[in-house]
Amino acid sequence: MHHSKEVFWWSLFSAGGVMAALFMPALMVATGVILPNRGPAAHAQIHETVSFWPVRILLFVILFLSFFHCGHRVKHILMDLGLRRASGALAVLCYGGASVGTLAAAYVLATLGSG
Amino acid sequence: MKNRYMTPLGWYWFLQRPAFRAFMAREATSVAVAGYLVFVLILLNAIGDGPVAYDRVVVNLKQPLAVFGHVLVFGAALYHSITWFNLTPKAMPIYIGEDRVADFWAAILMGYLPWLVVSAVVLWAVTR
Amino acid sequence: MARGATIKLDVFRCRPEDERGTFRSYDVPYREHWVVLDALNWIKDYMDGTLSYRWSCRMGVCGSCGMMINGQPALSCAVFLKSYYPNSIRVEPLSYFPVDRDLMIDLEGFLAKLKSIKPWIIHEDEKPLEAGEYLQTPGELAAFKQYSMCINCMLCYAACPVVGAEEDFLGPAVIALAQRYNLDSRDQGAEERSVAIDADEGIWGCTFVGECTEVCPKQVDPAGAIQRAKVASAKNWYSKLLPWGER
Ligand code: SF4
Ligand code: FES
Repeated sequence: MHHSKEVFWWSLFSAGGVMAALFMPALMVATGVILPNRGPAAHAQIHETVSFWPVRILLFVILFLSFFHCGHRVKHILMDLGLRRASGALAVLCYGGASVGTLAAAYVLATLGSG
Repeated sequence: MKNRYMTPLGWYWFLQRPAFRAFMAREATSVAVAGYLVFVLILLNAIGDGPVAYDRVVVNLKQPLAVFGHVLVFGAALYHSITWFNLTPKAMPIYIGEDRVADFWAAILMGYLPWLVVSAVVLWAVTR
Repeated sequence: MARGATIKLDVFRCRPEDERGTFRSYDVPYREHWVVLDALNWIKDYMDGTLSYRWSCRMGVCGSCGMMINGQPALSCAVFLKSYYPNSIRVEPLSYFPVDRDLMIDLEGFLAKLKSIKPWIIHEDEKPLEAGEYLQTPGELAAFKQYSMCINCMLCYAACPVVGAEEDFLGPAVIALAQRYNLDSRDQGAEERSVAIDADEGIWGCTFVGECTEVCPKQVDPAGAIQRAKVASAKNWYSKLLPWGER
């Protein structure tokens, strides 16, 4: 089979779409409602939860794929708005942005310290 | 024969049909989600930095602007989830033998049910 | 309805030498059982013989009478005046195609794309005639039947913003037709077709707006066909990375 390199970006996009669809609403309820109401006292438990290694890895996968999901979609929005000719530059910008987000996620999650 | 008349497609094309507006709204959810992902990084970083840094972020989450932001991204994320699950069976239909499972049930099976489970687990993890 | 009732049609008029089209209004007798095509035929017969448009079967099978009717791609032999009366109806050529004349669009580009995906059955080994026919089970037929219902009316192209933005985009019907052959148990041409299909101007040009499926008069679901082709391509690509994957 002949393949365009788009197959790779699209696979990240759709895997990220699944991750975002499954996790984002609940995470938003957590950070928007539950954490503010539990206040500072919750730090120890939250720290313990997110630094549990399986959770860290899960968070990394969610963040990494979701970043590429968003990057791909934003690229195509801009192409659809008339920047088709600049698709090369858009790819650098959008996938580059997603890569920076992914690296930042890796750094933050690796330096959480142990719960 | 070149230069013949052809319906132009301006940048505003997505305003021209209701379905195009819904499409663009769906795609634009990614901008909101991307913004939220950055916030998650900031929050995780603060969690790692210790109780004091964490307090600073969490206290600010009660500010009207933060609440408004959360409502906004939540609406976008919800729209993304619903449109995504509804479209999944179109891209990945499931079959029982030779019969295609109705999109409605396939969406529940592949999307809404796992969504419910995942959401419950996430909420349990931050309240226990 | 009064005996002399009429309905107004605003019809797009454009000659090859015109830079852009204009609308001309016609007051046509209103009949409850008339479709838009009947009204156009009445105009041509009794009001203005210079009006140009295509049609043939008058029953939704030939696919030649597609037009924009109040901005919506439709077969003009399948939409009734009744649905619009007493309001007027705007009739335009299908969007995103060069206009030959009035309501007639240029098909050249579409036909070239159609040909590029080799829309015929490709056998790896041709059986001799005396070996008999290529048999197929009902299940194997069901796998592609839906995609074989396309009548090439191009309504889906006029509903697709990517077609409007990217001249080279293969478009919904052509990709659905490629799937029609790729999913046929008698066909081994998927590899050859993938050059055109698995390309930025092929399946990857599509952003799943989904309107092609909505306007299709034959329930072909080209949008679904394209997304399924993307999933299949991704599976194939990743499986090749595995040491035990197919080569
Ligand atoms: S897929 Fe449907 S809308 Fe498109 S050309 Fe074929 S019959 Fe017409
Ligand atoms: S005239 Fe044949 S499809 Fe309308």
